[in-house]
Amino acid sequence: MDFSVIAQMVVSGAFMGLIYALVAYGFQLTYATSKSINFGQGELVMVSAFFCLTLTNLGLPYWLMVPGGLLFGAVMGLVVERTAVRLALEQQSEGWILLTIILGLLFFSSAENIWGRDDRPFPTPISADPMQIFGVDITPLEISVAVGVFAIMGLIELFKRKTLLGKAFEAVSADRDAAELMGISATGTVMLSYALSGMVATVAGILVSPITTVGPTMASALILKAFSVAVVAGLDSGFGIVVVGLVLGALESLASFYIGSGWREAPGLVLLILALALRPTGIFGKAVIRKV
Amino acid sequence: MKGQWKRFLLLRGVELAALVLLAAVPLAITNPFALALLTLLAIYGILLIGLDVTVGYLGQVNLGHAAFLGIGAYCAGLTVAILGWGMPAALAAGFAICLALGALLALPALRLEGPQFALATLSFSALTTTVINEWESLTQGAQGLQVARPPVLGVALAAPGFYWLCLGLLALVWMAMRNLLGSRWGRAFEALRDSPIATDAMGVGTYRHKVIAFALGSSLGGLAGGLYAFNFQYLQPQSFTYELMVILLLGVVLGGRKSLWGAFVGAALIVLLPNLLSNRLLFQIFSAIGLGLAVFAAGRGLAKKTTKPFQALAPVVATGLLLVGSLLVANTEDWRKAIFALTLFSVVVGLPEGLMGFAAAALTKVFRIASAPLPDAAQLESVLPARAAGGEPLLELHQLMRHFGGVHAVDGVSMTVSAGHIHGLIGPNGSGKSTAVNVISGLYAPSGGEMRLRGKPLPVGSLFKVAGCGIARTFQNLQLFGELSAIDNVMVALKDVFHTPVPLVMLGLAFNEERQARAAALTLLQLVGLGARARVRAKDLTYGAQRFLEIARALARKPELLILDEPAAGLAQPDVAELVKIIRRVHELGVTIVLIEHHMDVVAELCDVVTVLDGGKVIAEGPAHVVKRDPKVIEAYLGAVATEVAQ
Repeated sequence: MDFSVIAQMVVSGAFMGLIYALVAYGFQLTYATSKSINFGQGELVMVSAFFCLTLTNLGLPYWLMVPGGLLFGAVMGLVVERTAVRLALEQQSEGWILLTIILGLLFFSSAENIWGRDDRPFPTPISADPMQIFGVDITPLEISVAVGVFAIMGLIELFKRKTLLGKAFEAVSADRDAAELMGISATGTVMLSYALSGMVATVAGILVSPITTVGPTMASALILKAFSVAVVAGLDSGFGIVVVGLVLGALESLASFYIGSGWREAPGLVLLILALALRPTGIFGKAVIRKV
Repeated sequence: MKGQWKRFLLLRGVELAALVLLAAVPLAITNPFALALLTLLAIYGILLIGLDVTVGYLGQVNLGHAAFLGIGAYCAGLTVAILGWGMPAALAAGFAICLALGALLALPALRLEGPQFALATLSFSALTTTVINEWESLTQGAQGLQVARPPVLGVALAAPGFYWLCLGLLALVWMAMRNLLGSRWGRAFEALRDSPIATDAMGVGTYRHKVIAFALGSSLGGLAGGLYAFNFQYLQPQSFTYELMVILLLGVVLGGRKSLWGAFVGAALIVLLPNLLSNRLLFQIFSAIGLGLAVFAAGRGLAKKTTKPFQALAPVVATGLLLVGSLLVANTEDWRKAIFALTLFSVVVGLPEGLMGFAAAALTKVFRIASAPLPDAAQLESVLPARAAGGEPLLELHQLMRHFGGVHAVDGVSMTVSAGHIHGLIGPNGSGKSTAVNVISGLYAPSGGEMRLRGKPLPVGSLFKVAGCGIARTFQNLQLFGELSAIDNVMVALKDVFHTPVPLVMLGLAFNEERQARAAALTLLQLVGLGARARVRAKDLTYGAQRFLEIARALARKPELLILDEPAAGLAQPDVAELVKIIRRVHELGVTIVLIEHHMDVVAELCDVVTVLDGGKVIAEGPAHVVKRDPKVIEAYLGAVATEVAQ
C-alpha cells in the first residue's frame, strides 16, 4: 500500500484525535474535583455546537459567537452539576452516573426537536483548502483544531497554576476535606470545574463541527471515543490524553480505511476494554493505594 | 406461628394467584393484541430480573444488558436458521452464550467500580452493535434477520402456546432467582456492593461472586433474547442500542430495585410505554397523576423536613415539564427520549426505592406482615468450639517490610504471636500498626520479609486467601455491609455451614442450612450483646454497636487468630467496658487475639504481651506494665524531654 496514503490517514485521524482528547479533558476537569464525570458530555458538545450555529445564523460574527457559545457551555455545565451531580455526591452514591446519562438523553431529545435530526454544515471563516506539507494534505481547518485544543487546555492549566481560584481548584483535587478545612468551598470548586468542563465542550463543538457537520448523532460518536481516550490515558494525566488521543484518532482512521467504515469505532472500544482489564488507572495514571 | 403462616400465604399466595390469572388470560380473551402484550411482558420480565442482579444487588450501572438481549436473540435465531435446531436447544444456546460472554466481560470488569464498570459495559454494548451490523455474512447486517419459530418437541406453537411457554419460563426464573437471591449468594452480592474489601476479608471472595452475578444476569438477558427472537420473528441490529438500554434501566428503577415484583412492574411499564406515548389523552392523564404525586410527596417531605428542597422540588419540576409538554407538543412520539429522561429523572431523585419499594413498605404496614421469625440461637460451643491453645508460636513475622514509595511504613518488624495470647500492638499515630495489620491480613503485599502461620508461609497480598487460613480481622474504619441487617452481616461471613450446590439452592432446597446459619449467627450476635438488634440494618445501628457487629462478623469465620484494629476507637466509656468483656469472652474460647489499641488501660488490662512500634520498627516488647516504663516507649509517645523528666 502506498505510504503517502497511510501518512494521510494517520495525520487526518490524529487531528480528529485531538478533539477526542479535548472532550476527554472535560472529563478530567470534573473528575479531579469530584471523582465524577458527565456521561452526557457528548450531548453537551452537540447542544453547544447547535447553539453556536444558531448564533451564527442570527448574523453574529464568528468572534462574537465564540464567547457567546462559551457562556452557554458554562451555564449548561452548571445545570449538569446542579441537577445531576450534586445530590448524588452529597449522598456519596454513584447515582450521578445514571443522572448524567438521563440529562444527556434530555439534551439529545431537545436538540432533535429544536434543531432537527439532520446533519447541518457549520460555517467558519477558516479555509478548508488543503496545503501540501511533506506530501500530506493538511487544511487550515485542521490546524485550527490543533491550535484551539492546545490553546484552551493551556489556558486552563495556566489558570489552575497561576490564579488563586485555580489553586483552590488544585487543592480540592488533591484533598477535598483538607481544602474545606482551609476555608475553600468544595461545592463551589466542583461547580467551577463543571462550568469549565462545559466551556471545553463548547470549544470542542466549535472546532469539530466545521469538519464533521452538526447533528444529534455527533454526540454518541464523540463520547465513546472520548471515554476511550480518558480511560486508556488515565483520568488524571493531561499529557496522556493528548498522546492517546493522537494515537486513537490515527488508529480509527486506519481501521475505517482498511477494514471498513462500519468498524471505525472498534479500535477505541477494544482499547478501552483492554485498558480497563489490564490497567484500570490508565497508561499514564497513578496507581491508587486502597486505604481502610 | 400464626404470623408466619399469614406471611407465607400472603407472599406466596399473591405470586401463585398472579401466575394463575396470567395463565388463564388466553382462555378468556382471544384478542391477539392483548396476548402479544402479555407475551412481551413475560419476556421483559425475565430480562429485567436479570438486569436487577447487577443494578440492584451489585449496585452497578450496567449499560450492556440490551446488548445481551441482542446476542441471545441473534444466537437463538441463527442456530435455528443455520443449524436447524429446535426451540429448546436454541433458547439454551442463547442462554449459554450470554452466560459465557457475561463471565468473560466480568473478568476485566470485576476490578472496576462505578463509572469504570459503566464504561466497560457501554463499550461492550457499542462493540456488539458494531459486530452485528457489520458481520453481514452471518447476521444480514442492517437488512435484518428473518427467524422462523421452530416447533417445541414436534409441536408448532401458536400465539397462546408461545405465551404459555414465556410465562412458564418467567415463573421458573422467578422461583430460581427468589431462592438464589434469598440465599448466601444474594447476601454475598449485596455485601460486595457495600464493601468489597470486607467481603474479601470475610473469605467470601469478591472475584467469583461478581463474575457469577454478572454472568447470571447476562444469561437471563440471553434467554429473554431467544424468546424475543421467536416472538417477533424478525431481528434488526438497531433494536438493541442505547435507547433500549435506557428504557430497561427505567423499568428496573421505576419498578423498584432488588425486587422481583419490581422487575415485573417495570416490565409492564415498558410494554405499555409505546401505547402510552401514542395516546395523547392517556399520556396527559399519567403526567398529571405524576405531577400530583410529586407535589404531594414534596409537600409532605418539606413539611416533615425529611427531604431536602432539591429532592422535593426537582421531581415536581420534571413532572411539571412532562405535563406542560404533553399539552403543548405537537407529536409526543417525537419527544419520546425526553419523556423517558424526565420520568427517569423524577423517579431516581424522588422515588429512589421505586414503585415496589414504596408499595412493599406500605403493604407490609397495611397487612401487618410479620418479618420472618428468627430461630432459637444455637449453642455457643457448636458455633465456636473452644480451642486448646498452649502458648506455642502461632503467627511469626520476620523482618516484615512495607514501603510506599519513600515512606517506610513498616520497616523490618519481627514479632511472634503465641497461641492463646492476647497480643497488644501499640505505638503512636503513624508508627505502622495499621499497615502491619493490612500486610498480615493480605490487603497489601509486603515489600520484604516473611510471615508464617503455624510454621507455614502465609499467602501474601490477598485478603481472601489469608481469610481462608483462619485469620479474621476487624477494620479501624468500619467496613460493614451497611444495607444488610446485623444478622445478615454475620451470615455473610459464616464459615463451614453452606454446602448446598447452586442448582439445589435455586430449587429452594437450602432452607435447612439457612436455618442453621441463622441460629449460629444469632448466637454470635448474642455473644457481643446484639441479639435483640439482629434485624436492624447495619448502617442504622449505633456506632458502638457497629464496632461490636464487626467483631461478631469476624468471629463467624471461626478464626484461629483474630485481629482487632482499634476496636475501642471512638467508643464511649460504657461501651469500652463492654468491649473488654467481649474480648475476654472470645479469648476464653481459645481464640488468639492481636489487639491494636490506643487506650492504654484496655491494653494493660487484657494483653499478655505488648509489642511497641515506632517509625515502622519494633522499639519494645514485653508485658504491658514493663513496656509502659521503657524510656524508649515514653520517648516515642511524649518526646525526649519527657523521658528526662521521668527519669
